[in-house]
Amino acid sequence: MGKILFKDFKIFNGTEFIDAHELLVDGEKISAVGNGLDAPDAEVIEGYGKILSPGFVDLHAHFRDPGGEWNEDIASGARAGAAGGFTTLVAMPNTKPAISEPSLVEYVLSHGKAAGASRILPAGCVSKNREGKEMAELLKMAEAGAVFFTDDGAPIATSSLFRLALMYTGKDLPRIMEHPEEISLFKGGQVHEGRVSALSGLKGIPAASEEIDVARGIALARETGGRVHFTHLSSAGAAGLIRQAKKEGLDITCDTTFHHLTLNENAVINSGYNSRYKVNPPLRSKEDQSALWEGLLDDTIDAIITDHAPWHMDEKDEPFQDAPFGIASLECAAAVLIDSKNKNYPDVPMGLILKKMTSAPASLLPEKWKSLGRIEEGAFADLTVIDMERTRIVDCSEWYSKARCCPWEGIALSGWPVMTFVEGRKIWQVNEEM
Amino acid sequence: MNAMPSEIGQIVWRHRNVIDVDCFTKEELYFLLDQARHMENVMDRPIKKVPVLRGKMAVNLFFENSTRTRVSFELAEKMLSADVVNWSVSGSSHAKGETMRDTAWTLEAMGADIVVMRHGAVGAAQYLASKLKRAIVLNAGDGTHAHPTQALLDLYTAWKHLGSLEGRKIALVGDILHSRVARSDIIAFKTIGCDVVISGPPTMMPREVAALGCRYEKDPKAAVQDADMVYLLRIQKERQQDGLFPSVDEYHRWWGADSDLMKYARPGALAMHPGPINRGVEIASEVADGHQSVILEQVRSGVAIRMALLYLCGGGAR
Repeated sequence: MGKILFKDFKIFNGTEFIDAHELLVDGEKISAVGNGLDAPDAEVIEGYGKILSPGFVDLHAHFRDPGGEWNEDIASGARAGAAGGFTTLVAMPNTKPAISEPSLVEYVLSHGKAAGASRILPAGCVSKNREGKEMAELLKMAEAGAVFFTDDGAPIATSSLFRLALMYTGKDLPRIMEHPEEISLFKGGQVHEGRVSALSGLKGIPAASEEIDVARGIALARETGGRVHFTHLSSAGAAGLIRQAKKEGLDITCDTTFHHLTLNENAVINSGYNSRYKVNPPLRSKEDQSALWEGLLDDTIDAIITDHAPWHMDEKDEPFQDAPFGIASLECAAAVLIDSKNKNYPDVPMGLILKKMTSAPASLLPEKWKSLGRIEEGAFADLTVIDMERTRIVDCSEWYSKARCCPWEGIALSGWPVMTFVEGRKIWQVNEEM
Repeated sequence: MNAMPSEIGQIVWRHRNVIDVDCFTKEELYFLLDQARHMENVMDRPIKKVPVLRGKMAVNLFFENSTRTRVSFELAEKMLSADVVNWSVSGSSHAKGETMRDTAWTLEAMGADIVVMRHGAVGAAQYLASKLKRAIVLNAGDGTHAHPTQALLDLYTAWKHLGSLEGRKIALVGDILHSRVARSDIIAFKTIGCDVVISGPPTMMPREVAALGCRYEKDPKAAVQDADMVYLLRIQKERQQDGLFPSVDEYHRWWGADSDLMKYARPGALAMHPGPINRGVEIASEVADGHQSVILEQVRSGVAIRMALLYLCGGGAR
């Protein structure tokens, strides 16, 4: 593999925009960052002032491979990620069969490699077959390459299993990722318990469902000294609990999604109950949405994820109440967030958004992957070029993902990834002149 | 005893589909009520038929059993001379393995002009309307969301009795949480200028009552105080198995309408119910069969208001 010289870029190094505009890639790694770099034998890519960022790291994406490949297989998911500016995707293990043994972890890794697009890192289940009963072979799965343990799709079934898993993993095994939900309050629910449930009559999912499970996880982390990562946070109350736990010094982290930051329950109402907005946790109130932005600003919330849920049109295109939960977003998530930030939250620094998509999530991965999400000499050349001037209408029919519907279809957004590199290799470029 | 002529202006009817009553302005509601009055006259003629929908095909697509609503629509369609097909699908569309999208396209391929649909899922009518290019959709109830023709027939019944509805008070008592009737009635009565108060067990109220734009009184006496209309909602006994209230007996004792509760309303207040009634649960027989009850008139109004809607939306007016 040769050398690539990036010239005339605004470089974001994972934490901040730096006073350097050139970057040299040699093989798989970044070999120099600076100005006036000399590399006569390198291929030159002119940026004309575009942003060069570490590739985006998504800690939470669903592919339906194995078991539901017609919805999304690992290859289509990895290509969709590349086209969305993501260079690393953590694949959730709630497949059929669930990823709860080392051979399946290897399956995900090897299919990810074969796709030759975004790097796919597997999460393993906390429990065997994701049944919530016995602990899965966490040590073996970590050795095989699992980067998180989660029964996502559902909370860890019992507090005793949760506690044992925290004791067992401690500080040296991958983190436990918890899908925070109290099942008895979720059952039969369709939308946020609030304005949208009052107007539609759809069964509400109260924010307390999330808060209760976050409180449980915090109590168990405190007792065991273990590490809990709460995923897809949606409520102000849960963010408040995590803020407190962090102050207390517990090793608690969390993320929220692109859609919870950019949409709220009013989208469900205003769309006439369009199933594209049906997601779990549900789109909550405007106040909850604001609390998530506050959480990003004060570092209560560590990362932004897609929770990419690739439903095939045939399944998702149903009346609201009959449709499955989930939003597919890999290929537009970054643009959705950048566009919404610029239009609705102009005071939030662009650097903060990028940090929560790059170095911040990467720092929650096992030691081996810690250098992801950073631009520095010696780091993997995982890079994403962002064109802030580019405006484009979301058109799901062009997607690599097999899930061809999302809430933003037909909407014009500004600020798009246009080129993606993994380990020095260009894995995607927008299908037009740059 | 009808509204002032000034309240019924001439308007241009702009609606094709009726998903919920929130699409109507106050003027349109009064216009619709006036149209229903003309339609009700047809019901009294020796030959109960006018040719306004002749040659049109109406499909009554019922995914849930509702003999009353279906028969009411069917009578309305037949009196307007439409060709009527009743299509009942037991269970959900999924039970047959056909998606709703395919059902919609099938209807269109068969040449349906008007689709009246009852479905158990919130948003089903809106969904169907979004898939149909030619045929219009009248929502005959979508899950817990909306039941616009019920709300319109309730308005019509109240209007016939009370005249102008401006400033009148209506108390809705019962299970608001699961009631499409309540949701549509709240919107309809508010739009036309009524004061709307709801009452019932707190476990059967939406958490954000404010979103509905009405007041909640736990005590039904406070809700019914000085009301012009007392509207009792059907209590489904399975809600008790869900644990929302401890017993039917306790429900009746607190929220059931008997002559004692009716005393709090204005003299001559109307007792209303969407039917079918549960005697001894949400309503005592002395109220259901008493002089204040307009429950059977509501049934008659239903045919008239559905005729008016079919006429205006179904192309008869054009």
